[in-house]
This record gives sequence, C-alpha cells and structure tokens, in this order.
Amino acid sequence: MTTTQNTARVGLFFLLGIALIWVSYETLSDGKALKSRGYNLVAGFDNLKELKQGDDVRLAGVKIGSVQATRLAGRRAEAVLRIDPAVKIAGDAQATIGSAGLLGTNYVAINLGSASVPPLAPGAEIRTIASVDLNTIMIQLGELGGKLEGALGSMSEVLKGKDGQPSLFQRLDTLLTENSQKVNTTMINLQEITDKVNRGEGTLGKFINDPRLHDELLATVGDLRKAASDAKSVVSNAQTLIEQVKSGKGTLGALIYDEKTGNDIRTATSNLKEVSDKLAKGEGTLGKLINDDSLFREAQSTLRKADRALDGMGDSGPITAVGAVAGALF
Amino acid sequence: MKQLIAILEGIGNAVKLLVRAACFAPTLPRQLPRFMEQCYLIGYTTLPIVAILSFFIGGVLALQAGYSMESFGAKEFIGSLVGLSMARELGPLMVAILLAGRVGSAITAELASMKVYQEVDALVTMNIAPERILVLPRLAAVLVMMPVLAIIANLVGWFGGAIVAHSVDFIALEPEKYFETLRRYTKFEDVANGLIKAETFGFVVVLVCCSIGLRTRGGPREIGASVTKAVVVSLILILVLDYFLTKALL
Amino acid sequence: MESCHQTRNPFSDTETAAVGVTIEHLSKNFGALVVLKDVSLSVEPGEIFVLMGPSGSGKSVLLKHIVGLELPTSGQVLVGGLDAAAPETRARIRMALVFQAGALFNSLSVYDNLALYPREHRIANEAGIREKVMRALQILSLENTAAKFPSELSGGMRKRVAIARALVQEPQLMLYDEPTSELDPVMSATISEIIATLKDEYHVTSFVVTHDRDLALNIGGRVGILMGGQLVMVAKPAALHNPEDPIIADFLNPKIDLKNPRFKQLET
Repeated sequence: MTTTQNTARVGLFFLLGIALIWVSYETLSDGKALKSRGYNLVAGFDNLKELKQGDDVRLAGVKIGSVQATRLAGRRAEAVLRIDPAVKIAGDAQATIGSAGLLGTNYVAINLGSASVPPLAPGAEIRTIASVDLNTIMIQLGELGGKLEGALGSMSEVLKGKDGQPSLFQRLDTLLTENSQKVNTTMINLQEITDKVNRGEGTLGKFINDPRLHDELLATVGDLRKAASDAKSVVSNAQTLIEQVKSGKGTLGALIYDEKTGNDIRTATSNLKEVSDKLAKGEGTLGKLINDDSLFREAQSTLRKADRALDGMGDSGPITAVGAVAGALF
Repeated sequence: MKQLIAILEGIGNAVKLLVRAACFAPTLPRQLPRFMEQCYLIGYTTLPIVAILSFFIGGVLALQAGYSMESFGAKEFIGSLVGLSMARELGPLMVAILLAGRVGSAITAELASMKVYQEVDALVTMNIAPERILVLPRLAAVLVMMPVLAIIANLVGWFGGAIVAHSVDFIALEPEKYFETLRRYTKFEDVANGLIKAETFGFVVVLVCCSIGLRTRGGPREIGASVTKAVVVSLILILVLDYFLTKALL
Repeated sequence: MESCHQTRNPFSDTETAAVGVTIEHLSKNFGALVVLKDVSLSVEPGEIFVLMGPSGSGKSVLLKHIVGLELPTSGQVLVGGLDAAAPETRARIRMALVFQAGALFNSLSVYDNLALYPREHRIANEAGIREKVMRALQILSLENTAAKFPSELSGGMRKRVAIARALVQEPQLMLYDEPTSELDPVMSATISEIIATLKDEYHVTSFVVTHDRDLALNIGGRVGILMGGQLVMVAKPAALHNPEDPIIADFLNPKIDLKNPRFKQLET
C-alpha cells in the first residue's frame, strides 16, 4: 500500500462524502434546491395557520411546487409560492390553505380556475379564499350560544323575579287569590267555551279538531328531517349562516344583532315587567288586564315577530333546530 | 481541590496546544503527505466500523419505534423518527464515540510512546515543533473527515432503518412510505446540525487525545494509563458537549 | 523557523561557526530532590568537552539544560551567548543531541529519520536532501540500512543512525548522551573516532556525556567530573591518569577486588 494509493483513497472518500452531503441537501430541502427553476406567486391570507416554508403547493391535488417563504405584509400574511415552470395557473384560480389530516402539515391548495382566463405571470398575486377551519366555526357557534344565553337570561329574570321582588307567578298567584270570585266566573265561562270547542263549534274548535292539521304538521316534520339530512353542506351552510347572522341578515341575525329587534324584545320584556309590577300594586283586575288595549297590541306584535322569526328559519338546515328551540323559548 | 486543579491544568494544556497548533496552520500545505496519511487513518480506516455500527443503530431504532408505535397505528412515522434521531443525535454521537475509541486511543498511544521514548524531545532539539507535525495534521484531518464519516453514518443508518422496517413482519413498512415521512420531517438543517456536532466532537476528541498523549511522563505503563485516560475524558467530553451543543443548536 | 534560511551546510564549502557553552551557577531541583548544585563551567567553541560521572549524578539533566529541554531552577546556561532556556535560541543556533537510546522516530524509516530535519526546515530540494542523507549514512557505514525501520536495527546501529541524524542537522553544537554505551569495544572506538573526526573536519563544538574512560582520555579536550550534582573536577585528560582525590581515582580506575567486594565494604 503506497502513499499515493492512500492519498487516492482519501480523495475518493472525501469526494464521496461531499457527494453524499449534496445528495441529502437536494433530497431533504427540495424547495431550496429548485431555487434556480420555477417562478414565484404571492398569496395573501388573513391567517397562514400552520403553513410554513417547504410545505407543498398543490394544483387540483397534484404537487406543483412548495412554499418558499412566509412573511407578514402590512395587515395580512403572505406566502411566497414556488411553482414548477411547466405549470401554468389560470388567472382566476383561487388558493386556500388546506390541511392533510388532523395532525398533518398544511399545504396550499389551488383550484384549476377557468381555461379561458390567461395564466398568472411570475411574481403575480393569486386570488385567495379564506379557508374553512373547523376551529373558527366552533368558536363562532360558541359566541352565538353565548348571546342566546344572555337573551334568555334576561327573560328568566323577569319570570323568576330579581333582587327580592316577587316573581311574575307569585304576583299572579296573589292576584288570583284576591279575585277568586271573578276568576271562578271566568273559569265557568272558559268551561263553556271549551265544551263548545270540543263539540267542534266555532273556528277554534274546527281548528283543533280538524284532522288535516295533523297531516300538515307531519309534513312539516318531514321537511325538517330532509333539511337535517343534507349533512354534506353542514359546514359551509353553517359558515354562511353565521356570516349572515353576523351581518344582521336573516331573522335570527336580526334577533341577535339588529338593534331594532333588540329594542323590541327589550320593550316587550319591560312591558311584562310593568304588568307584573301593576299586578303587585293591585292596580286593575284580571278583566282590566285583558281589556287593556295597548298591552294586548304589544303582546300581539311580539308574537308576530316571533312568528316571522320561525318562518325565516325554515330553510336554514340543521340550524333550524337551534332556531326552533330559540323560537319556542321566546 | 487537587483534582480540580488537575482538570483545569488539562483544559489549559489542551487550549495551549490548540493555540500553538493553530499558529502553525499556514504550514499545512507543506505537510500535505502527513495530512493525507492522517486523513487515511482517521477517515478511511474508520469507515467500515462506522458503517456497520450506524446500520445497526438505524435498524434497532426502526425496530424499537415499530414495536412501540405499532400499537397506536403511527408506524409511518418510523421514517421521521429514524431520520431525525440519526441526523441530529445518534449519527454524530456514534461517529464521535467510535473516533474516541479507535482513533483517539491510537493517537494517544502513539504520541505518548513518542514522548516516553524521547522522540518528542528529539523533535524539540531539531527545532521542529511537535504541535506542528504531530498535532496540526491530525486536527486538520479530523476536521475534513468528520463530516464525511457523519454523513455516511446518517445515510447508512437511514437505510438500515428502512431495511429493518421493511423486512420485519410486524412492521412491514414500505420503503417509499418510510422515506416519504423521513423526507417530510427531516430537513437539511437537521443534517447540518448533526454535521456541526460531529465536527465539534471530532475536533475535541483529537485535541484531547493529542494533549494527553504529549503530557505523558514515565514508561510503558504510563502510556497505557494515558490511553485509558484519553478515551475516558473524550467520552465524557463528547456527552457533556453534546448536551450543550444540542441546547445551543435547537 | 526563521533559522531555516540562515542554515549553512557543513558538507558544503561554507564554514559553520562553532559556538561555546557557558554554564553559570546552574542548580536544578525536582521537587525536594537536588539534581544539580551550583554548576559552573564553560566550553570553548570547537572543543570536545567530556563530562563523566557515576550514574544518577545529573549528567543527562545538565545536557538537557543545554538544549533547553529542562529549565534551570536557578543560574543560567548560555549557548553562543544566548539563553538556552529561551525557545528562540534553538532557532538561532543549530544544536543536535544524540540521545542515549537514539530517540529515532519509530514510524519512519532510517532514511526518513535523517531526512526529516532538512525537509521540515526546507534546507534543500529532495535531491539535495538525498545527497546529504546518503553522505551522513556513508560516514557511519549505514548505507544498507536506509530503507530499514528503527525496530529492525541493533542497539549499536541505532546509535549510529542517531549520530548520522544529528550530522544531517549541520550542528554548531553536538551533544552526545552516552554515545558508546551498550556497544562492543570496536564499535565504541569507531564512535569515538567519529566524534573526533567531526570535530576536526567541521569544527563542531562537542559536549559528550559518557562513562567511557577510553573515549574521554583519547578524544577529550577537557574532562569534567560530575558527582552528586556538583562539578568536582575539570582537567586535561592527562591529569586523569593519576588523580589525587581517591574517590575520583576509584571512579576512573576501579579495581575489581573479588576478595574484598565493594558491596561488602558498604556493610562494614
């Protein structure tokens, strides 16, 4: 074994090492290795989530590049996408951030767009859609629930009584005891009316005893079920709904976000309180209560509004359940 | 107290040796044959054992990972586990430990016997600094050879893991799958990280072994004692350094 | 390092300036052990100075002080007027020490052992070095050993290779540590002749530490005797034939008395 041979071996060995380092560099950081080839696109998002350098960029599910860099640009986050030069992306294609599996890494998903639109030039900005994220939906649903709870809470305060004041039911009880005589008479009258109703006399009687109504109810339930079974669009529908609710569209939205409706509810609530207070003070009798025109109108308008709310929810899919519950409680 | 002083003295001697060897760095091109010889001894002749060891380390990692991950269905992640642990930790560590055992001990034995048999004194009287022809080529050689050994250890370990993950019945992971997760979770930074570690370990091992070898006094018995000491000190230093380097490089 | 450009070749026509050695009140302790006690002597340029003394008297330690391998506890060693303890001195003055055991580089062949110094100091090109090395080997009749390794050589050959290696350094000061020990009488005589010849031909200052009476008496310019770390006598070789001090006389001319052996004298 001569020195020359050894030197040659060392040289070979060293070159092998360099080659291996280069190979692992190429394979492990393919994003950077492609630096010389391909072109860049910029995609702006409100939130890049878990997206990081080196993540895949996929066009209709096929890998066509990688995320070269992520950065903040003013009020939004930008991802610089390195795209394979052979791939052209239509000008109206949209990018979203998708995630591969629950724990998996994120990737940028680009749809095909339309063939007629000219492709994006290198360095251009691609249109983006805020991606649907399970977390966001959950948070928004939670907020909605919180608001409903708040509205219900104020109602129950009136019903249960607050700060040591007697509740509406207690007050009613007192009223009934004080006016038992009159109530008795009323009850007899009521008895008569119900007898008539049972016999099918009068409009209300017909309404209750007519079998057609039962069938209609069944049909309504069937519709509801159909709506609920449309589960594929659950997330998007919910998203849309929440968005609509947020922007004050739709009845539930109006109910929660619209100031006017809020005021109406508040008025109704305060009217109820007034009634209860008047009852406590012994003002008027049950007859006066019933005959008071203004109160009657108030109650009627409230009921109409609730009715409208229920109507508006008919086409809202599974959220109807929530709506129906909320409506029933109102 | 005495031991503390001895430790400090050892550190001081190693640093002094390093500085003196570094002063002679410009003479390295003239010492090319000597440098090549050391490269051959440190790099080339260490390759087989490095390859064998890292192959089995990678294999055992895959086996253990397969055994424990299989129960919760995460066996695709064997690739990433083997890839990352070989690149960041086990590759450099194994190479450094082998270097300490195989090359470090030889260096100490050679320098200690040169010292004991007055060859080092002879060099001094010839006005040839021992640091220049004995220490510098070795330090330079280890710097050049360590990344090569470490990258080979990495790749052999990865392939070892792939072969074991594929051929063991209860894992039976496709190599494509294995390398896909390996590639997804192992970045070149991790490999570079490991190479930096290996470089540091190798350099420290050779420096320590040179320093201890050249400080030997006495006879053949002391040569043996020096070799033992050099290997023990090297191993301790590797592991202590490993901790701090890992922390620094995270 | 700088010296390599100033180096002159004794085998060439240029003359080498021999240097003198001056030792002033040199003392050396190893911990509590006193090895050298206030030693003062001076060696003239071109002289052969022979230092004799019983084993363990500190001869080798004194030698190491001259080449700067040991540093004095007190006192000073000057080589050619420069402090031997300073590392630069070795760069300014070419000294060669022939170690007792040879201290050949075991990993190198005989040829490479000799070629190391000129190669490292870039004294000549490879052809020039080859010429120098072969000449040195020739002087010591070692031509056939050039390719051999030190482990393949006998003790006497190793010693000669060590001298040859010292010669290649073209020294201004040659130091020999026991050059004739472990050698047969003929080889001892040869080595003595070589030392004397080198002195005559190249005007090298030689400092020889030895036990060899014949060497000391035949080639020594002056002879010093070191006992118990102290220089007890410096004289011309002629004065050593009949020294006055009985201890020195016994050291130089020990009588082997089987009827009254020394180890028994000590007991009484």
